[in-house]
Amino acid sequence: MSPPILGAAAVVVLFVLLFARVPVWAALVLVGFVGNMGLSGFDSAFALLGTTPFDTASIYALSVVPLFIIAGGVASTTGLSADLFKAARVLLSGMRGGLSVATIVASACFGAVCGSSIATAATMTRIALGEMRRADYADTVATGAIAAGGSLGILFPPSIILVLYAAISEQSVPKLFAAGLLPGIVLMLLYILVAVVMAYVRPQDSPMAPSASMGERVRALSKPWQFVSLFGVSIGGIYAGIFSPTEAASVSVAGAVLLGAIGRRLDFRQLRHTLIVGVRTSCSLFAIIMGANVFSSMMVQTQLPTLLADAARSLALPGLAVMALVILAYIVMGCFLEGIGMILITVPVFLPLVKSFGYDPIWFAIIVVIVVEVGLIHPPVGMNLFVIQAQAPDVKIGSIYRGILPFLLAPLVLIVLLLLFPGLALWLPGVLYGAS
Amino acid sequence: MLFQAAIFGIRAVQTVLAVLAVLIIVVSTVADIVLRYGFGRPIHGAYEIVETMLVVFVFNGMSLVFLDRGHIVIDLVDHLVGGRARRGLLAFGDLASIAALLLMLWAMFDPAMQAFEYGDRKLELGLKVWVIWAFAIGGTIGGAVCAMAAAWVGQRRARA
Repeated sequence: MSPPILGAAAVVVLFVLLFARVPVWAALVLVGFVGNMGLSGFDSAFALLGTTPFDTASIYALSVVPLFIIAGGVASTTGLSADLFKAARVLLSGMRGGLSVATIVASACFGAVCGSSIATAATMTRIALGEMRRADYADTVATGAIAAGGSLGILFPPSIILVLYAAISEQSVPKLFAAGLLPGIVLMLLYILVAVVMAYVRPQDSPMAPSASMGERVRALSKPWQFVSLFGVSIGGIYAGIFSPTEAASVSVAGAVLLGAIGRRLDFRQLRHTLIVGVRTSCSLFAIIMGANVFSSMMVQTQLPTLLADAARSLALPGLAVMALVILAYIVMGCFLEGIGMILITVPVFLPLVKSFGYDPIWFAIIVVIVVEVGLIHPPVGMNLFVIQAQAPDVKIGSIYRGILPFLLAPLVLIVLLLLFPGLALWLPGVLYGAS
Repeated sequence: MLFQAAIFGIRAVQTVLAVLAVLIIVVSTVADIVLRYGFGRPIHGAYEIVETMLVVFVFNGMSLVFLDRGHIVIDLVDHLVGGRARRGLLAFGDLASIAALLLMLWAMFDPAMQAFEYGDRKLELGLKVWVIWAFAIGGTIGGAVCAMAAAWVGQRRARA
């Protein structure tokens, strides 16, 4: 069997195993190992399997994964994220759809500390859903805003997905974080636009709250100072070149714990629980990264990406058409696959293809993250939608599906903007760290 | 009962190791920043402390994931098949997971032994690399035991 055919067969077997409910990490390890064995013999495949997990777990850059997850957990437990929502709610009072907008803004800010969409959606459901229901917002609108806002967590730095992308594509984490910032802000504005338009089209679903006085607004502004300073010091430190991402993440954890302890909002039991949840979440991700590294080492040997690039050239497809096909493939896969697994499986195949057409790997990372975001919120397997439903079982999944549909337009518009203006993602890393 | 206590004991010890490892990462990194910017004296080997503790964290945290069945799976098929088929798929997934873990564990012995025989050390800390391998292998053994326990309990529950 020729290497490219073996590579294609490996991808098919991998998908069969995934759909047969084999854990993503195990499917990647087994297919990667057997594929490597077919390509370079048992000894070589066995040696690779022995060293890859250890080498993966020793990657300094990956230490940010547990750290930011724990920082986000502590910020959520101590109510720092709730302060953020309360401030946004008061500041945006008197505006039609104000609570939806407040949810989106607070989600973006919280995502900028925890780096995880699911954690952001779960936290904002706890904080915002009850408030929106009390204000007579329709469930469709409330859950749509929460799911969409929650998805911002993976685009804003420190995005866990961008760290994983950096690990498998050997890109710079700070550059990727810088690349995600502007598209993240644009996406947040697009979500806000959707929320406001929805509020004007169906005003009965988003009633206007009484406007707060100037004094109340000023007081509200002072509430989230802890959260803002935590974000400013850690992420600002990365952009200013003071901290490495690992240092920023450690400062985030230490700062969140310190603020929680000083404000008497965090006791030992809560801290222990947050740490254990952080261990569980991070280690399940690490297992997938290990599997993905075994799998991608096999994929490199198969030369399947080169074959795909050659096929695209022989069909005389322009780069834009290839990108459109790749994006389409991601959107289709996002209907069925979990985001992180999807990235770790597909990037080793698609990145060389995309690079061979002259696209920048940093820019491609942002595109990939946005399509994963789409996958997080579009039916039938939108993880954020399930997270909301798990926490609010009385909301019908049909309502959540209907609520998210208008918001799906925003990331698609952003993808078009990024295709037309790649500088949207590449300008800031260029300014901060020079051209790649 | 004794078996259950042993499994939970393994998980508890490994979870404590993982939590301690991540706390050491946080404390050593923050201390390094303070000492570097405040006193111009960074911690010697701070980078390697993080690398080492990350290995301890990852391999020991795995047992928690295995026992709690916290691995990410694509569960689309759950809605399409009956209870019996679902149980079969669950068993198949467990089996694949255990096979992958045991294969990985077996493969890890060679490089660990090489690190021991050659006496490899971390450049700055001078720590012998086989010690880190020992944590990795110990953690993986614990993970494998927890994976088997989770599979066994899962099948018993499914039958009940």
